[in-house]
Amino acid sequence: MAKLTSHPSAGRTSEAPHKRAATARPHLLLAGAALALTGAATGATPAEQMEFFEKKVRPLLVDKCYNCHSPEHKVKGGLRLDTREGWVTGGDSGPALLPHQPETSLFMSAVGYTNRDLKMPPKQKLSDEEIAVFRDWIAMGAPDPRTGAPEVAAKTASKAMSMEDGRKFWAFVPPVKPALPAVKDSAWPATGADHFVLAGLESAGLDHADDAPLEVLARRLYFDLTGMPPTTAELHEFQQMAGQTQEAALASYGAIVDRLLSSPRFGERWGRHWLDLARFAESSGGGRTLPFKDAWRYRDYVIESLNQDMPLDRFISEQLAGDLLPAATSAERRRQLTATGFLVLGPTNYEEQDKQLLRMDIVDEQMDTMGRAFLGMTLSCARCHDHKFDPIPASDYYALAGIFRSTRTLKNYKDNVAHWIDTPLPMEGEVETRLQAHETRLEKLTADVAAAKKRIKKLSPKVEAKDAKARPVAPDELPGVVVDDSQATVVGTWKTSTRYPTYVGEGYLHDQNEDKGAKTLTFTPKVPQDGRYEVWLSYTALNDRADNVPVTILHADGEETVRVDERAEPTINGRFVSLGQYRFVAGGEGYVLVSNDGTNGIVTADAVVFVPLDEIAKLQTASAPAGADSAAAGNTQLQAAQAQLKDLEKELKQLQASPLARPEAMTVQDDSEPEDCKIHVRGSIRNLGAEVPRGFLTVAQHGPAPKIPDAESGRRQLAEWVANRNNPLTARVLVNRTWMWLHGEGLVRTVDNFGTTGEKPTHPELLDALAVEFMEDGWSLKRLVKRLVTGRTYRMASTGPEASLQADPDNRHWWRQNRRRMDAESIRDSILAMSGQLDPKVGGPNVKADAIDSNSGAAQNLEYNYVFTDVRRSVYTPAFRNKRLELFETFDFADINQPLGRRSSSTVAPQALYFLNHPFMVEQSRLAAQRLIASGAGDDGLVRQAYREILARPPGPRELRLALDFVTVSASEQDAEARRFDNWSLLIQTLFASVDFRYLN
Amino acid sequence: MLDRRHFLQTTACGFGSLALAAMAQGAPNPLAARHTHFPAKAKRVIFLFMAGGVSHVDSFDYKPRLIRDNGKMMEFEDQRAIAKTGMGAAQRIMQPLWEFKQQGESGRWASSLFPHMSQKVDEMCFVHSMHTEGVAHGPATLFLHTGTTNFIRPSMGSWISYGLGTENENLPSFVSISPSLSNGGPRNYGTAFLPAVHQGTTLGRAGLPARDATIRNLRNPLLTPEQQGRQFDLLRSINDEQMRRATSLAQGQADAELDAVINSYELAWRLQTNAPDTLDVTSESPATLDLYGINEKVSENFGRQCLMARKLAESGVRYIQVNYTDNSNNPAWDQHSNLPKHADHAAAVDKPIAGLLADLKQRGLLEDTLVWWGGEFGRTPYAERNGTGRDHNPVGFTQWLAGAGVKPGYAHGATDDFGHFAVQDKVHMHDMHATILHLLGLDHEKLTFRYAGRDFRLTDVHGHVVKELLT
Repeated sequence: MAKLTSHPSAGRTSEAPHKRAATARPHLLLAGAALALTGAATGATPAEQMEFFEKKVRPLLVDKCYNCHSPEHKVKGGLRLDTREGWVTGGDSGPALLPHQPETSLFMSAVGYTNRDLKMPPKQKLSDEEIAVFRDWIAMGAPDPRTGAPEVAAKTASKAMSMEDGRKFWAFVPPVKPALPAVKDSAWPATGADHFVLAGLESAGLDHADDAPLEVLARRLYFDLTGMPPTTAELHEFQQMAGQTQEAALASYGAIVDRLLSSPRFGERWGRHWLDLARFAESSGGGRTLPFKDAWRYRDYVIESLNQDMPLDRFISEQLAGDLLPAATSAERRRQLTATGFLVLGPTNYEEQDKQLLRMDIVDEQMDTMGRAFLGMTLSCARCHDHKFDPIPASDYYALAGIFRSTRTLKNYKDNVAHWIDTPLPMEGEVETRLQAHETRLEKLTADVAAAKKRIKKLSPKVEAKDAKARPVAPDELPGVVVDDSQATVVGTWKTSTRYPTYVGEGYLHDQNEDKGAKTLTFTPKVPQDGRYEVWLSYTALNDRADNVPVTILHADGEETVRVDERAEPTINGRFVSLGQYRFVAGGEGYVLVSNDGTNGIVTADAVVFVPLDEIAKLQTASAPAGADSAAAGNTQLQAAQAQLKDLEKELKQLQASPLARPEAMTVQDDSEPEDCKIHVRGSIRNLGAEVPRGFLTVAQHGPAPKIPDAESGRRQLAEWVANRNNPLTARVLVNRTWMWLHGEGLVRTVDNFGTTGEKPTHPELLDALAVEFMEDGWSLKRLVKRLVTGRTYRMASTGPEASLQADPDNRHWWRQNRRRMDAESIRDSILAMSGQLDPKVGGPNVKADAIDSNSGAAQNLEYNYVFTDVRRSVYTPAFRNKRLELFETFDFADINQPLGRRSSSTVAPQALYFLNHPFMVEQSRLAAQRLIASGAGDDGLVRQAYREILARPPGPRELRLALDFVTVSASEQDAEARRFDNWSLLIQTLFASVDFRYLN
Repeated sequence: MLDRRHFLQTTACGFGSLALAAMAQGAPNPLAARHTHFPAKAKRVIFLFMAGGVSHVDSFDYKPRLIRDNGKMMEFEDQRAIAKTGMGAAQRIMQPLWEFKQQGESGRWASSLFPHMSQKVDEMCFVHSMHTEGVAHGPATLFLHTGTTNFIRPSMGSWISYGLGTENENLPSFVSISPSLSNGGPRNYGTAFLPAVHQGTTLGRAGLPARDATIRNLRNPLLTPEQQGRQFDLLRSINDEQMRRATSLAQGQADAELDAVINSYELAWRLQTNAPDTLDVTSESPATLDLYGINEKVSENFGRQCLMARKLAESGVRYIQVNYTDNSNNPAWDQHSNLPKHADHAAAVDKPIAGLLADLKQRGLLEDTLVWWGGEFGRTPYAERNGTGRDHNPVGFTQWLAGAGVKPGYAHGATDDFGHFAVQDKVHMHDMHATILHLLGLDHEKLTFRYAGRDFRLTDVHGHVVKELLT
């Protein structure tokens, strides 16, 4: 142990632990048995060895190890230490110890606490003497009389299904199209699905509900397909069906369905369902939340794709591997790149310091999302061990993980706060030409600026000691807040020097090139006001200086460490170098720390100046470096170069400010060196087992698996495997969810869990029929939806025969339509529609989060200080993970941290309080009242209109009277008009709060 | 004014009974007080969260070695350096900035950083050998609250609410006072996959004065009480009509779900007319306000939070978290530089916490209330970058418990000579979670929830009850 660690044993500098152990050994052994020493241990007789084991080793094992490593207690990590076979076989991490090889035995590194991931016993390190016992025991070959194979039976039988049984489990058997069942009442079914439902009802002897009243059906259909209530005219159109023949009515209904499916509202509504599955959010949440500036592009991708009825197999493929698919046009390429945002939008903890752990956490999150969203499977259980219930061995998990590990989701694995990948998007035609020209210019200008700076540096005269013009400068001659070396907190011995007179104040400090790593200077400013400052450091440049001085700036938004080259002439007035621009808060934390750690020459530091940015601007506009410092004043060449630089920088700044910027999307990339993944024993990133070739879920594999070439990640093949007719899960999961979104429950109620712990389908044949038909129909969502909503099963009333209710209260036979809760978005969008405030704009960003520095507090403040004011549809409401719209929080919006096929539904007091008291409810109700009253109808008409718009039905006679009584104000009353308006506002707010508004029948 | 206790005992309004009403016929109330796995020592928990990480070597973990070796350079296994590079680095040892003394009858060490808390060491059960996961605030804060650095899991308060239900159906079972939006934000009081009723109810938030902290949407500021009463009567009538319609449509079938919604309005109505009083601390005696430091500017805010915590504890809230934090990435106690600033934070929390302990004791509440104090990690015994502050230290730090079921004036475990690594009787954060659940009568291995095909626990597959702490 060469280095000192802070363990008690290691803190001592006088005595190396291994030496002590060595000297301690004779006593130990003498005390134990007449044994020879290490090296000669093999010389001990078997009897002596046994005695040593019995006297020294066994008691230790019993006392310190058996509690966790013997079947009487528990067997942690799969390791038994109560028999010889136990440690020979070892646990999850392989053989525990190798006889005669203490140094290479896992056991010794664990008890020696030298393995940072495996320290045993975990609570308290053994004494040096005890560790030595084990070392000697292993060195003598680990004699152990405790033979007899460990009882395998002690291990509880795994509940997991075998692979053979798994392949017979319904969800892993490919769906086959069944024949339509015969029904007695052949007049009732309108669709194939209705046949299956009716056959089930008839065989169970259950009566179904009647068709829903038209007004009920209208409201149901409009919310289901568009998330919006029907307008008065649309309701009227629906009512017309009452007078039509059944055939004509069905045709009218079909036409309305078609119209709704082709409305952009459909994509917004159904896109939201998908966004729940994609745990879509516009910030990362987690530890240090970061805004996802381009997440909205993924949201728009989803909405547009559904509006265009993109086949869902392609839709899925693009989200898994869009970046790897061929694209005919730039638009297609843009779309495909954007689609991979699906893999990036997770609640990643970018701040995690162990980047390899972060990398694996991201892989796990991606697999979890993909598994639940597309396959209805929970894969992450297999991260640590074979799945306990489903036939998914850990090897399958790591076969898939190899694919995602070979995919890059982070820019790099080094940054303090990691960052996702922003990929520039290709444009077309003139736009692309202009962008390219712009980028070429930008590139050239950046190079020119660098060249000009270099030239100036070259032309600038070196400040020599004898330079008459070099002179000290007093702090008050400088702009901004000056912290001179005399005010710095000094750690270690620094020498004050005045040898090179370009310093600030009375001199500068010098580390004498000694005690590297032991000396620091901390310059703490008292900034007068909050704001951004440019930070300058002054030092004296010479050839014997260090060119790698670490300078750390702690500012209001985090901290940065920059390396300063003190061999180079300071660029600002020959005195200062800029450390960058940072935000500081008056009275807040902030400092500049100069260290000599790891430096390769003398470190000097003189003063740190914090110049407010507006002063910098002033300094820049003032002509060239001024005063005594313009040592180069006479040098026309230098002046010209400086003037040129100024022009170039100005031009660069203008160019950068230009609105002409190439759009970017959050994407993944294939790693340059794809590789198979090793099994992570117990999920640990530092306990690696066998390597597994990249691949897919064995149990769901039918037909040949796509081959993954060595040079590819395998995502393209994964997409092919998931979005495939041969995959038994994908289509079933999709049609089941679609059924749920229209009927309130899935045919498989556990919509995200098709595994063995999930529920079985109520109608397996119906599910298969729908799945096969859906695939044969080109994976079209819109046609699937139409087939379902034209069904009689969909169109039934939500109440029905008492006998059926008694026999099947959970409606597993689908004898009625399920009554459903209005979700958060439908509540908000309806209210905004009623108040006339809804902005119908489709797509586009809704929150401006330009390129954000991950280390900047501005990134979080954007979210924390965000005030929700927009009136666009709820699908566009900024979806921050740490700050949600209160209405969403209150009304069971999806938890956007995890993929979710089915939202929970609660009835809690805060919902009632929201309706009664929240300012949004108050304001929108007043706006709605304004709109309503402006229509000029009489009170009676107004009440009818309010009921129609809010509840999609006319008021009953008692309801009408009740409302009229409430709004009526006697004309003689004071402020009659204002009171009348207040009453209408309250009536509207109360209708929103009423029970009927909150349910879809 | 209504007597608060009387109100809480007699009114049927609130979160618990609401949840009850929400249940279909025959289904149990998810918040109903539930049987524990074994007899509980504690009925509730007050967690005093010191966000950012208090320096244990400057407060309760006395290490004379730091004074002796002050300024010396030594190699330490710095956790941040290890996470990034796999290697340790040379560091300059920095002595505690506050003087340590043995205090009370128990003679436990405490520094002058917390002069008031120092007088309460005889109530405290120190755990000096804490260690946890996560080197940065976000991961470590999430770990403290949810037992994981990165996965989406229920927070501790939600688990306890799920495990025990509430003692008082008029109040939520889990309250977080002035929580931060930062470092995991809502996830630190979120339910993840547990039922929504177990979500922590927030009172105020970090950065806003505690005097304004209350349950959201309790009042409509535009309306007089009479107007609100009139509106509520209208709502009642409209709902009655709608129920009549629904019943006739359903051919007379009863509908428990709709009844629940109707009830929720009745209950909300009673809540909004009564609850503000239960959260009002101004009715407390001047002596009490003084005890909590509410009359002093420096401790006023946290004092209010602590007093509110006592009132909620008294009313039977199961898990009350009191947050000393802000909304920044580097929260309050995070003195990477300028360690003396610890004194400002200490001044803000010291008297309120000591006052809370005294008040709980004098009311007999300490007998069945567990107080838990600490941050997401401690701080290093060496100066960060050889400067004037200390970096994060997740491998060894101190937290303390006090009250129900834990040994008073007791110290458990130890860090090494420097206060860096926990080395003796180590207590992992999972162990702390397991122990707190144990005190509440819950077996951390049995408190599970089936989700996505798997049984989840607060302690994942880890955690041991630290029996040595128990009375």
